[in-house]
Amino acid sequence: MAPPHIGIWIAAFLTLACFTFLYKDNPFFRFAESLFAGVSLGYYVGIVLNQTLMPNLFEPMGENFGLNWDLVVPGLLGVLLFMRYVTKFGWVSRYALAIYVTYYIGVEFTRKLHGEVMPQLGRLIRPITSLDPATLVSSVYIAGVLSVLVYFFFSKEQDAVTKRISRLGIYFLMISFGAAFGFTVMGRVALLIGRLNFLILDWIYPTLGI
Amino acid sequence: MAGFFDRMLTLDRRWIFLFVFLSVAIPIIIPIGLPVTTTGSTRSAFEFIEALQEGDIVWISFDYGPSSAPENDPMAEAIMRQCALKKLRFVVDVLYPLGGLQLANNAIGKIAEEFPKLRYGVDYVNLGYKDGAAAVMRRLGEDIAGAFPTDVNGTPLAQIPMMQGLKSLRQVKLVFTAATGLIGEWWITQVHSQIGIPVIIGPTAVSAPKYYAFLNSGQLVGMLGGMKGAAEYEKLLRGRYPQMAKFYKTTRDFTATKGMDAQTVLHTIILMFILLGNYAYFRQRAKAARA
Repeated sequence: MAPPHIGIWIAAFLTLACFTFLYKDNPFFRFAESLFAGVSLGYYVGIVLNQTLMPNLFEPMGENFGLNWDLVVPGLLGVLLFMRYVTKFGWVSRYALAIYVTYYIGVEFTRKLHGEVMPQLGRLIRPITSLDPATLVSSVYIAGVLSVLVYFFFSKEQDAVTKRISRLGIYFLMISFGAAFGFTVMGRVALLIGRLNFLILDWIYPTLGI
Repeated sequence: MAGFFDRMLTLDRRWIFLFVFLSVAIPIIIPIGLPVTTTGSTRSAFEFIEALQEGDIVWISFDYGPSSAPENDPMAEAIMRQCALKKLRFVVDVLYPLGGLQLANNAIGKIAEEFPKLRYGVDYVNLGYKDGAAAVMRRLGEDIAGAFPTDVNGTPLAQIPMMQGLKSLRQVKLVFTAATGLIGEWWITQVHSQIGIPVIIGPTAVSAPKYYAFLNSGQLVGMLGGMKGAAEYEKLLRGRYPQMAKFYKTTRDFTATKGMDAQTVLHTIILMFILLGNYAYFRQRAKAARA
């Protein structure tokens, strides 16, 4: 087994530095935290520059401006966003922002409606043709969706009936939050497992020659 | 005993951290091999791929980064192993910007080593990373070469034998996305809804609950929820293909099945602390009420 290379040692040191926060705040943790934030930002800037701006904006315009002149418009919109840092012309950035917001509303609207709301409503609204376990499950879905909708209906003061229905909605919400929390714990533990696997299998074992 | 419960209420949380650390580290050093039970969503994903014919194309999207690699890596690797065993061809793309490409390259390298007969460009292709996930998906449905003019090595798609007949995502039999965040959802709400291609998702455990709605509405063929889902898939794979056991038996490599040992031990510890803490709290409250 080859001894771990310098990259493994650095990664192990930074992992341990992050773990030291569990004992108490200290300079090692602060160093690792700042380094991580800086490297992440630098990496992302590099990715955007090399993977987005270069191949989609600068290279096409440089190669054949006559054919790709229309790219000037999104390029300018991007530049306009940064005008918010110039006090006098800050208002100009709102135009670019307005176009982006409008674009995403258009894209998301169809995607949400066509890809999420309609198919799931379709699953909810099924004809009850027989009394079987599937019908029972469907009834639970219907009860859950309607009671949660009633809980979130704030336009009218609740009366004795809607109060009870919204109470049922709270139970459904609590169950879903509980399931989400359980999954979140599992997800976070998985990350810890990943880090300890790295420390033990990639760093400690090779260092000890195991 | 009363002193023990009083101490529980003022227990320094660093003791709990130590318990957590030990309950994860010990099963990694000494694997226990606790049993893993499979769920319907994982089984349906597995059986769907089993039902595909030799030569069919599966699209595998690496939509995650190092922050969720312990969960997503085993899923992606298990799916690629199944494709290799079934002689399915697979195309890999990366839509997650932060480190996704490195993870995809590592996983492909590992699978290529395990299956030396796999030929790049004939049995599998790595298209690399492309920015703008939603726009890329839309383009893939019309023209793959428009979204990815070259593969990860810079070779034009027209020169890659496997890609010569593959022009659109519509020709693919299945999309598998190992995903963190929103990108996985877009494969369902955009690609499946508009093109109709079956989608299997391998989300992180944090995202898994929301995908049950898509599963119930029939928009997903199957789901591998977090590390547990990956461990289930590994079990199904080992069960159907006994020759796979060698990849999952080693104590040196990380597998989701091994991770589930630590998950189980740690969850038991967490539950124990929750029960003890609550008992101590209610006990003290009852004592205060009596006083």
